[in-house]
Amino acid sequence: MKIKLMVLALSLASFSGVSAGLDLGKLLEERVKQELNKDKQSQPAPAQQPAQTPSQAPATAQGAAASPPPAKQKIDARQLGFALFGDYTPEEETRIGKQISGNLLGAVPLVRDDKLQRYVNLVGNWVALQSGRKDIGWHFGVLDTEDINAFAAPGGYVFVTKGLYRRLNNEAELAGVLGHEIAHVSQKHHLKVLKQSSLIGALGQVASSKAKDSDQAVQNLIGNGAEIMARGLDKNAEFEADRIGVVYAARAGYTPWGLPEVLQDMAGLPAKDNRTSLLYKTHPHPADRLAALGEAVDGRFDAVRGKELADRFYRIR
Amino acid sequence: MKKFLIPSAALALCIAAAAAWAAPGTVLRNDKLYSEPSATARVAGSAAKGASVDILAKQGGWLRVSSGKTTGWIRLLSVRAGAGGIGGAGLGDVVGAATTRSDPSRVVAVAGLRGLNDEELKQARFNGDELARLDGWAVTTAQARSFAGQSGLAAVNVPGLPGPKPQQASSPWENN
Repeated sequence: MKIKLMVLALSLASFSGVSAGLDLGKLLEERVKQELNKDKQSQPAPAQQPAQTPSQAPATAQGAAASPPPAKQKIDARQLGFALFGDYTPEEETRIGKQISGNLLGAVPLVRDDKLQRYVNLVGNWVALQSGRKDIGWHFGVLDTEDINAFAAPGGYVFVTKGLYRRLNNEAELAGVLGHEIAHVSQKHHLKVLKQSSLIGALGQVASSKAKDSDQAVQNLIGNGAEIMARGLDKNAEFEADRIGVVYAARAGYTPWGLPEVLQDMAGLPAKDNRTSLLYKTHPHPADRLAALGEAVDGRFDAVRGKELADRFYRIR
Repeated sequence: MKKFLIPSAALALCIAAAAAWAAPGTVLRNDKLYSEPSATARVAGSAAKGASVDILAKQGGWLRVSSGKTTGWIRLLSVRAGAGGIGGAGLGDVVGAATTRSDPSRVVAVAGLRGLNDEELKQARFNGDELARLDGWAVTTAQARSFAGQSGLAAVNVPGLPGPKPQQASSPWENN
């Protein structure tokens, strides 16, 4: 990761033809020029600053990320820098997750069932403990919709729809579903999308969400509403979340077969069903996910025993 | 010797339950059929990718299936439930809309229940009250540990799974 950033920073700075970095560099250059020209300033963009010696490249990248914006520049160069080079701090990550989640909750409210929500938070936190991410606070919620889906946002926000929850048979299946979403958070999949999309278009875009506690700076970064949830992730990120999610569930003491059972259930659903159209738009087909997971698991869980906890599973009314 | 009585009894039970349970499935990868739900059991046959099977029973990470004249236990992840073929890879596209991303006109409502859609999410307005409600249900690490302990859940050391063979190494996702 660090090395890749270094390469990116170098190619941005010197326009040397590192193939992967060059396209990004051009995109960025155009984008930044466009933004800066709006303000009729001849300030050089961070990307155009001359390169120093290669050994100093990391410092250059950091400098670009952290230096205060040149005077009268409309865009927040620091934020731009973060979106491109640095890692988000846990605080920034939480800020982003909060905004995305607040938007999502604007489209779908939470189920009004304290016991259910509390239960999901207990299971979720226990599974999340296995992820090793202790720098963020975890929040879990069941969304009041018959849609069959689950969502994750940066900063530890995880949502399961009532439609999906209803189909679960035991706590291990819930743990598997939550494990998949927790993996999206621990692997920072959405943050990576944000970094890419901020290069490509969201930069400088102004949305108009003026609701209470809404974070305008973050809203600019994430685009419209909770659109990022509808866009979905790279399918490799989904396969990775499956691989990691089953391991989290198993590490939490559950049988690793919870998530596979849920995928089997979905694979058996009729294809043309309104409740799964968004799920299938944003995820590979369950059959492909089972196949990919099967390649990774093979016999590796043969000795893993775990609990299903069907008795304790909170059944929704 | 008694050891063998238990699995065979379990087997008999499963077979008894099979008639009620039989469901169609499709084999996702070439795999073996074992006489019992264990990779150390005798190999009863094999199933080829794409083959149709009847799923008769399940137990842990195993499914009891019949494929042609052979019946045996196969790994849960080697079979998909449903008669939709091997999935979205372009082969046997019986599942239709589910695997055809780019043609919204093919998504026809069959269930009366409404799902979420892009436009709703795109138009969504920040709701601080719901977010506060969510905060109210948050639990502490200590509460989660205690909850786990109540059902005898304890952290287990399980190694991570390997990623796919490096053919998609160009994907940025694999770099972290």
